[in-house]
Amino acid sequence: MAKLLLYLTLATSLIPLFSVAFSPENPTDRRVLVLVDDFAIKSSHSLYFGSLTSRGFQLEFKLADDPNIGLQRYGQYLYDALVLFCPSVERFGGSIDVASIVDFVDSGHDLIVAADSNASDLIREVATECGVDFDEDPAAMVIDHINYAVSNFDGDHTLIASDDFIKADAPVLFQGIGHSLNPANSLVLKVLSASSSAYSANPKSKLSNPPSLTGSAISLVSVVQARNNARILITGSLSMFSNRFFRSGVQKAGSSIKHEKSGNEQFLTEISKWVFHERGHLKAVNVRHHKVGESDEPAIYRINDDLEYSVEIYEWSGTSWEPYVSDDVQVQFYMMSPYVLKTLSTDQKGHYSAEFKVPDVYGVFQFKVEYQRLGYTSLSLSKQIPVRPYRHNEYERFLPAAYPYYGSAFSMMAGFFIFTIVHLYSK
Amino acid sequence: MVSGGSDSNSHLFLPQSLTTSFQSCLPHNIFLNVWGDGINCWQALSQSDGRWRYSSNNPESSTFAAGIALEALSGVVSLASSEIDQFMIGAVKNDIVKLFDSIEKYDDGTFYFDEKLVNMREQQGPLATTSSVVRGLTAFSSVITESLNLPGDKILGIAKFFLGIGIPGDTKNFFDQVDLLACLENNRVSIPLILSLPSTVISLTKKDSLKVKVNTVLGSHAPPLTVTLVRAFSSSARDNSIIENQELKFDPQDAVYFLDDLPASFDVGEYIFVFKMLVQDSEQQTVYATGTLTQVPIYVTGLIKIENAKIAVLDSDLGSVETQKKLDLAGESTVSVSANHLQKLRLSFQMSTPLGNAFKPHQAFLRLRHETKVEHTFVVGSSGKKFEITLDFLGLVEKFFYLSGRYDIQLTVGDAVMENSLLREIGYVELDLPEPPENASRPPPQPVDPYTRYGPKAEITHIFRAPEKRPPEELSLAFLVLTILPLFGFIIGLLRLGVNLKNFPTSAVPATFAVIFHLGIAAVLLLYVLFWLKLDLFTTLKTLCFLGVFLMVVGHRTLSHLASASAKLKSA
Repeated sequence: MAKLLLYLTLATSLIPLFSVAFSPENPTDRRVLVLVDDFAIKSSHSLYFGSLTSRGFQLEFKLADDPNIGLQRYGQYLYDALVLFCPSVERFGGSIDVASIVDFVDSGHDLIVAADSNASDLIREVATECGVDFDEDPAAMVIDHINYAVSNFDGDHTLIASDDFIKADAPVLFQGIGHSLNPANSLVLKVLSASSSAYSANPKSKLSNPPSLTGSAISLVSVVQARNNARILITGSLSMFSNRFFRSGVQKAGSSIKHEKSGNEQFLTEISKWVFHERGHLKAVNVRHHKVGESDEPAIYRINDDLEYSVEIYEWSGTSWEPYVSDDVQVQFYMMSPYVLKTLSTDQKGHYSAEFKVPDVYGVFQFKVEYQRLGYTSLSLSKQIPVRPYRHNEYERFLPAAYPYYGSAFSMMAGFFIFTIVHLYSK
Repeated sequence: MVSGGSDSNSHLFLPQSLTTSFQSCLPHNIFLNVWGDGINCWQALSQSDGRWRYSSNNPESSTFAAGIALEALSGVVSLASSEIDQFMIGAVKNDIVKLFDSIEKYDDGTFYFDEKLVNMREQQGPLATTSSVVRGLTAFSSVITESLNLPGDKILGIAKFFLGIGIPGDTKNFFDQVDLLACLENNRVSIPLILSLPSTVISLTKKDSLKVKVNTVLGSHAPPLTVTLVRAFSSSARDNSIIENQELKFDPQDAVYFLDDLPASFDVGEYIFVFKMLVQDSEQQTVYATGTLTQVPIYVTGLIKIENAKIAVLDSDLGSVETQKKLDLAGESTVSVSANHLQKLRLSFQMSTPLGNAFKPHQAFLRLRHETKVEHTFVVGSSGKKFEITLDFLGLVEKFFYLSGRYDIQLTVGDAVMENSLLREIGYVELDLPEPPENASRPPPQPVDPYTRYGPKAEITHIFRAPEKRPPEELSLAFLVLTILPLFGFIIGLLRLGVNLKNFPTSAVPATFAVIFHLGIAAVLLLYVLFWLKLDLFTTLKTLCFLGVFLMVVGHRTLSHLASASAKLKSA
């Protein structure tokens, strides 16, 4: 589990890849469409875009209301991922709208949405479709009077320094709106949440009712991994990606440590690696099963057979498939409910196998591997195999309980033989 | 090369090559044509609104091109200084003034030039356009003797626009920005002076003083100025100005203007300070652009006193105090109280600013959190310095989803100007609420810790059906012995009866047949045993066919021989 904490909470870095297109063999996205409100963002957020292009992404910048933009042409998607850095767009140009963005994500592509304190209803709608609800008050910003970043110019405590996660060198600066997640939604995850003293309100006006979003229910940055493994990053601060925040130093209120550089660059680089499938992407190949002792795959098993199931799982490292090592991959032998659930043992090189005895229920079973871990794509493998009962000649052949019957038959035969001899030849 | 003049098909006007090519080895009298060519180009390509066209083929006029043109004209003027026509200079100056009509502005007082051309493939952004215009007009103003009368506030606005974009990430934008600021740093039109504050947050506890810096755009020193704080007022009471017309003193060491001491009546809060600066030397006033009034929002922070904090449980009907405990909000101690739904909980405290005035913080929340993590947040109301909140549990029973038990109490008080914002766990209250009725609403589901959401499931091993109970083996063996006993009994009985083999045929052939007959019977019986052991019915039947036929033949011989032998005996 420690490894999983490490992966999700932005520890290691990975190297860019050099292949051509987005395909199951190379799951990292290649062509990214970036929609901006105005091209000044290209310049003021150039460090972030530079980090993406240096890892091999091809970014295409377009204005959000440019009438020529479109995500697909003739049924083919033109881009592998979409980045919406246009918090104040009222209406997308071209053929893009909320429904087409939802279709884009449904077809397995990734999305980054950054809102800001003047977020339009359209961006809020896109976020709601992804499962995240921004604060409805349009003038609200996230304010934290205890965890703000000390600054000579932002005296209203809307610049928040958040270090609510493990292993970051410096706190991350955030200035914008917060959102909340539905607790019933199991696909959404809070990556950076506000502290319990934070609340979302308009800094200029007094509060008469308690705000709807308070405390650590406010999420600053969230990610969604859909069931088809499309990944979405949603955050309420576009300025978190800006060069100004990347370069500035941080001093959290109440602490005397002054960090030279905020953790924004490290945080956002790592999380965009995750969103664009450079990390945490698994594939399972070579599912095999056979009877213990044999090597070819039978078409049907008999009850009480000993069988062995094996699978190989690899993880995409950004450039190549590395073996995935974990100790909690499980296989189920399933017919309406799992009859057998076993943890697969690994040889540390990505090969997992398990042996078990086929249950004595016959029917059509499935070998099911449902592997879902935080931060990884979900693996869902299923292979059907029938199980038959004993044939008539597979039962026990000679039963001790039947010895009297054998004895009676053979003694009868022996008696008959003796009788024929005796009867014919005795006088 | 300029290829213009009388040829009406002018090609693109390239200013850089103009000056360099003419500074090369051409004789002096050729230079006279520069002025003529310059005038001809100006007539051909400049437009009435101050903009220029890129070429006579392209009907679109561009501000960017105007900037380049002005730079080129300044080169022309500097080369052909003896031939200058004052009328033409005046016309160009008018054009520049008209160009400034097309300037655009934002609400915060910044100005910039922008253009949208239809025919050009690449748009020059506002940075490139403004930078080229400013470059052109500073170059032009440096070569002419009279001064250009340009509105100083627009130059200041352009400077503020370029200073406000931070450091652009694009190298071309960065070049344009630095180039323009360098032109504005020292030019003959007007040099903008920027008023900035190193810190807009003043802390009363640290006794910060208000500091103001005035510099040129690239940070060099400004000439001696008088900086006056015209007004300072609280952002909530705009009409009431606390300070008026206070001149700031100059500290030559740090080159800052500072206000010695804030007046004693300065309390914490958000203020707006309005500054005005004036160049001391009246002759230089036209050289510098200082703008009129600059408004700066200032936060004055300080420690807010919170005292007299109490928590009490009151009886609902009578209002009498049942339990009351003092809270120490500065320390770490917690209190615990208990209440039922007929009572009220009251929390009260007093807040005052360092100067003793009433203070209303932006955030004053009381949060009750149940053991099941269901939370309820309330705003603590205030009247003057006294803050009080009374929770009447009778009315809140439904809001609390009828959940009884321990509720943790958390108080959060914070404001932008409070240096000691606090988040305190005060303690807990044991609440006893009645049972929920059938149609009461359920508490909302709480978020699940994501790390525990996915994990390996418990292993399942199939429990095989127990085989049917079989009788013990000894019983079977016992009955086996019992079934074999009759055979032995039969043999013993036969021996007792005195059986013998006297009737066995003596002659060779019948004896052989008899032996073969019995062997055949034994073979059939053996076949039966083999069938029982491992053969299948088909081979058995096949073998049985052959054996049977053989046995029939042999048996017939034997039995007929035996029958004839006994018939002989009977007849004899």
